[in-house]
Amino acid sequence: MSAILSSDDEEPDTGLDFSNSSFALGNTESTETATPPAVGNHQARTRKRWSSNSGDCRVKLKPPLADGVHTSVNGDYISPGQLYSTESGRLFHAGKILIVLVGLPATSKTLVSVSITRYTRWLGVRTNSFHVSEYRREKAAMDCIKVPLDYFSAKPTTEEGAKLRGMILRDVTDDMRKFFEEEKGQLAVYDALNIIKSERKRLAETFESLNIKVLFIESVVNDVNLLNRNVEMAANSFDYQGWSKEDAITDYVKRLKLNKSLYEEMTPEEGLSYVKYINFGEKLSVNKNYHGFLINKIVFFLMNLRDKKGCVYFARCGTSDKDKYIDDEDLNEKGIEYSKVLTDTVLEQINKRRMEQNDTPVYGENLASASSLNSLASENENPLVPTSATMKRTESLGKTNLRQYASGDGTDDDSFVVWTAPRKRTYDTAAFFLEKGIKVRQCSQLQQLHPGMVSDLSEDDIIEQFPTEYKEYMKDPYHHRFPRAESYHDLAVRIEPLLLEMERMCGDILIIGHESTLKVLYGYVVACSCHDIPSLKFIRDELIEISFGPFENKVTKIPLTVENKGERVNEPTNTRM
Amino acid sequence: MVGLPARGKSFISQKIVRYLSWLSIRAKCFNVGNYRRLAGGSKPNAEFFAPDNIEGQRIREKAVQMAVEDMMNWFYEDDGVVAILDATNSTRQRRDWVLKLCRENAIEPMFLESWCDDQDLIFRNISEMKTTSPDYEGCDPDAATQVFYERIEKYVSVYQPLEEVLDKELTFVRLINVAEQVVINRIETYLESRIVFYVMNLHIKPRCIWLSRHGESVYNLEKKIGGDSHLSTRGMEYARKLPELVRESTGDANLTVWTSTLVRTGETAQFLPYKQLQWKALDELDAGVCDGMTYEEIEKEYPEDFKARDEDKYEYRYRGGESYRDVVIRLEPIIMELERQENILIITHQAVLRCIYAYFMNVPQQESPWVSIPLHTLIKLEPRAYGTKVSTVKADIPAVSTYKEKGTSKVGEPAHCTPAPTIC
Repeated sequence: MSAILSSDDEEPDTGLDFSNSSFALGNTESTETATPPAVGNHQARTRKRWSSNSGDCRVKLKPPLADGVHTSVNGDYISPGQLYSTESGRLFHAGKILIVLVGLPATSKTLVSVSITRYTRWLGVRTNSFHVSEYRREKAAMDCIKVPLDYFSAKPTTEEGAKLRGMILRDVTDDMRKFFEEEKGQLAVYDALNIIKSERKRLAETFESLNIKVLFIESVVNDVNLLNRNVEMAANSFDYQGWSKEDAITDYVKRLKLNKSLYEEMTPEEGLSYVKYINFGEKLSVNKNYHGFLINKIVFFLMNLRDKKGCVYFARCGTSDKDKYIDDEDLNEKGIEYSKVLTDTVLEQINKRRMEQNDTPVYGENLASASSLNSLASENENPLVPTSATMKRTESLGKTNLRQYASGDGTDDDSFVVWTAPRKRTYDTAAFFLEKGIKVRQCSQLQQLHPGMVSDLSEDDIIEQFPTEYKEYMKDPYHHRFPRAESYHDLAVRIEPLLLEMERMCGDILIIGHESTLKVLYGYVVACSCHDIPSLKFIRDELIEISFGPFENKVTKIPLTVENKGERVNEPTNTRM
Repeated sequence: MVGLPARGKSFISQKIVRYLSWLSIRAKCFNVGNYRRLAGGSKPNAEFFAPDNIEGQRIREKAVQMAVEDMMNWFYEDDGVVAILDATNSTRQRRDWVLKLCRENAIEPMFLESWCDDQDLIFRNISEMKTTSPDYEGCDPDAATQVFYERIEKYVSVYQPLEEVLDKELTFVRLINVAEQVVINRIETYLESRIVFYVMNLHIKPRCIWLSRHGESVYNLEKKIGGDSHLSTRGMEYARKLPELVRESTGDANLTVWTSTLVRTGETAQFLPYKQLQWKALDELDAGVCDGMTYEEIEKEYPEDFKARDEDKYEYRYRGGESYRDVVIRLEPIIMELERQENILIITHQAVLRCIYAYFMNVPQQESPWVSIPLHTLIKLEPRAYGTKVSTVKADIPAVSTYKEKGTSKVGEPAHCTPAPTIC
């Protein structure tokens, strides 16, 4: 079954491999609904908004669990949110752009570069990120060498260190140039220290002479808590696998110290175009802003980017009796049971994670063990374990001399909000959260993909009633619109504002939605191409947890089971579109 | 808003309101100058604005009270989403008062400061002000300029710009010399970030935008919609005449031509001696299954669709095609880019031009699909601080009309609906 048409059906079979289908490409007999004959239409549009072969898809039946943000993109890549394409394959007439990250270690440069890559790719820009650390690790592994400590300094003191550093930086620069010149690249993100003025000048000159615009993004962290957190995160990175935490931190702090005295912060006098990004977006300043729409779009994105502690959870809504698109039905018994299980599982999951994070304030003695979780929660009439951010907010509430936090809006580390579609079934699935005093927001953008004339039809019905449409759909499931329907692409475009809102949430979000919206959102967080999205599957028995890391996002599946019985809540049933 | 007079505050305020309204977000600007004129401070001299002028102070105080009161009422009674208090708000004391008031109403305000030391820019703003502001109506322009400079001086003595350290707890944006340098502090909601993004794309250099549909096409002659047809003979004539029309309107000014990717706009632009760019996003509204049909055929074959479209033309989406709302969404990047650019001539299609026109002229959503934009006509838009000035030049080459009124499938120009040269 094709994934768009049936949702809970887990049979891994037929539809997607359309070469076996009776509607294979060779079958061009026209029917009543086919393009009208040429009479009077001799100058009809010949070019479609999308090339018809964009659906030349790789077959995937389950959501890929790996984050695709580090996979290189080739010349024919079409991304989910791409609004239009230009002949050159470059968007926005923005030309080629190199973004150079600047900053000491532990300033989240990698996170910023990965996030920019994810977002701009989703917009349809051909972006690759180039992490010097990756090159170094690869080189060290390949040549079996131990990297000397002074390599990590912007100005190595030993000949060996200097040689290695020079070699690696040259490799990266060559690859970036190749990406622009030979691989139709539009945006390269260069993730390295770049803390020396002369180094930056050379980079700007080299690439500007190739007609590539250069923008620097300087990340400055002067908030001590944030810095410590970043150091701790770095101590967990690939470089320190198998190290003790203390040793790793000590080593990393050494790298930081090596560079601190060498650091030449960017100033307007340098004459370069740059964005100063302070304390992860608390403050941003944009200098010599002459670069065009794409750059402003990136600044817009940076305004919304947060270092997320919380997770995003994806869940389907509960079932109703008829499960028809058009009816706005109540949940049935099974659906209500499902929403109970969902509520308990999500809260348990969040509380477990908060207990592990060490900024949970201690109330008296009773917080030592996880078993006291429930008592703590009920004591505060809050189903969630409070954190220090809760305390801060309570303190400022209603005082005119203090900032008013848009509470529950998700800007704090400890906020938890449930987003649902504006349909009764999804909204009611969140009823038990609401009962527990958790904020539930209906987002119109989460409205499921409008199925148009094929709503509530089984795949067989569609084949019978709309044979030509079906054939077109199979060619390009991502961009095809059934009569009166939305395509996945339409859905992606209207969901974009929500993506940025999701990025700006520090806390936890549960998104209860229809499969079609979950597919598109999931496609963003793990960087799927538009070929993958229509064939993703989300079943009701699983809660998907996305946790955000500086280098990649992680997907965990959590089974939704009824306690004691050990069985899944929903039997796989055959539902329609 | 925060900033001295003649720093483009009203311009920015108007733009934000227009942009948000175009995107269907309720927004309104409260201009304290207008309230001041109501409160008895019309045609003031420079002394009126002196910090020690008691009468002036009283009237200005009253004006701001009135503005803020209306603003709060608008929030509550009209479900307002974004209100802009357009005034100098030049002292910390005044800003603290606004801040307190907002927080009492559970609103965290965003301060947007326009700071400028580019004397040319200021001079241009003043020149514009003296010709458009009701304060200087009927004044000798040179005298008005003088008075205005004096008026600015009165503010300079008390002006306290936003400071990165002192105001670090506030949500604010500082635009320095328009958007050459931008400082963004503690932006906490998505809508705020969107407004900042928009403002960063604005500039206040004088420029014009010219709009034209493609020349008459073969499909236009055949009364068919959509398609990708060539120009008719008369359409070609228009293309040949266009360089002359444009030159008459622009003089020697340089400009860039934007066209869609469809054949007819490219053909229309082919004789223009300027740099040209093609945008996919400028392609005509996709009529889906109705592409290549006449309105009469559509009425016959899809009577329900035909009726549905007339009832809500903005939202109606052709089978397998697009609605006006869809077009607005895909045009958003174009609008942003247009804001960044200087002189631009856009050669595109009826529906797309209606959407662009609606943005610049504040045409309400429901009316925008019904605006008449005839063939073989060059429209010139001049964005000003208080609105956009429109003028049209007819090429004097006959062409069919493709305008269709509500409730009929006949095409033909209505007498009443031509965009008249107005300031909106």
